[in-house]
Amino acid sequence: MSVTTLATRAAYRRSPFAGAALPRLIAGIIILALWQAIVPRFAPEFVATPSGIASVFTKVVASPAFLSAAGVTLLAVAEGLAIAVVLGTAIGLAMGRSTVVDRALRHYINAFNAMPMIVVLPIFSLWFGYSGSARLATVVFAAIFAMIVSVADGARSMPHEFDEVGRSFRSGRLRMLFDIVLPSATPYFLAGVRLAAGRALIGAVVAEFFTAINGLGYFILFNSRTFHHNEAFVAVIFLAGFGVGFDALVNAATRRFLPWYRRDEK
Amino acid sequence: MREFLARQLPFVISLAIGLAAWEIVGRNSSEAFMAPLSETLVRFWELVQSGELINQSLSSASLFVTGLALAIVVGMPLGLLLARVRILREALDLYIMILYATPMVALIPFILSLMGFGFAPKVLVVFLFAVFSILYNTVEGARSIKPELVEVARSYRSGEWALWRDVIVPYTLPFTMTGVRQAIGRALVGMIAAEFFLSSTGLGQLIMTATQNFDTVAVFAAILVIVAAGLALTRLGLVLENHFTRWRV
Repeated sequence: MSVTTLATRAAYRRSPFAGAALPRLIAGIIILALWQAIVPRFAPEFVATPSGIASVFTKVVASPAFLSAAGVTLLAVAEGLAIAVVLGTAIGLAMGRSTVVDRALRHYINAFNAMPMIVVLPIFSLWFGYSGSARLATVVFAAIFAMIVSVADGARSMPHEFDEVGRSFRSGRLRMLFDIVLPSATPYFLAGVRLAAGRALIGAVVAEFFTAINGLGYFILFNSRTFHHNEAFVAVIFLAGFGVGFDALVNAATRRFLPWYRRDEK
Repeated sequence: MREFLARQLPFVISLAIGLAAWEIVGRNSSEAFMAPLSETLVRFWELVQSGELINQSLSSASLFVTGLALAIVVGMPLGLLLARVRILREALDLYIMILYATPMVALIPFILSLMGFGFAPKVLVVFLFAVFSILYNTVEGARSIKPELVEVARSYRSGEWALWRDVIVPYTLPFTMTGVRQAIGRALVGMIAAEFFLSSTGLGQLIMTATQNFDTVAVFAAILVIVAAGLALTRLGLVLENHFTRWRV
């Protein structure tokens, strides 16, 4: 076997997108073609088709309405996610390290985590008004519990030896938390961030549907109600892109910075 | 017994603090903003007795079960098919991954204007929320089937049927069950979203009308039911997942 084939084999193994490019491309073309051919036969003319979306895409993306909507939503998601990550990590670490805190909070966290977050929308819009604050609160609420649960799991799963080594070197509690517990919980932390980001995005869109404040969710709602489905779908593509992009980013970060961590070894 | 009590003590204290805080905050704020625990429970009992809560819960449950069942019936066989037919899997996994990461709520306005009000569009929403978790996890599982397993089975001349029965299905099922567990949570969100934004029925309707009448007590009572349902369903999902992953240890 020559060196080049070995190299290409290695590359194939490394990138999940390399070997299957052709079947994927063909499948994509088939899906779009079916959509283009079948949907207009059954649905009214305003319904989105690939060609319709392509024809309005650049116009929509450059329009100030879309840009401001995307900016507002992404900012709210980033802001809410930041709050949820910081608070969630703090609470999760406390729960993972202290059995008392864990026992005191566990049932609350489980209950809130199991609850579909959008039921709080009516209450939140009552408390915070039909405003950006209601959206921010929804985003934080949607994201924080995933964060708490993941980080607590991570802190709990730290091998006991780490604790003992830290203690025998007389490291302080705080030092231990930041230099031992947090680094060893990083894979869980990243998994939590990934989960939280997806939920935060849903929270923002739902809050915009509910309160009708400016943002991508409202952009979709408004355009689909005024029979501009192609325009509305551009926003859906952006939301999907954000979701996929964030996932890819977290995965890349895990591979790059935590090469020692393998999911299947757990 | 004593040890058990000592273990539960932090929870009992925090529960007492939480409930007391709920009661006190509720009593000291405007009626439209917050309802104290006692009134919520009274209202909960009234709603149960009038039959409204039970009817609406049953209506929500039928939506949830129909959507989730469809997602399992479609997602599982399709996932297993993708597990076996490599070319199909390679062609479709990227799109499944994209749909898995797409916030499905964004499609609700389209579904509304295409299918209008009724039961079917709401089932579609629950289905869409749930199905991609099942598919995505099954495909992830299938991707990790060790080629050695299939090779060993093949070298013992096992046929296609035996291969499915003894290798592919048992190997992939735990992953599928992880997907089902995730799907249960997502379907619950889809159920409420469908009831909020499509035709209003079930617990979603109860919450919406109560909100419009500033009947905050009833909103809290309905949320209580949803939290209980969420907890019970999450537990069910975990039990299911553990049941099918026993052999993996």
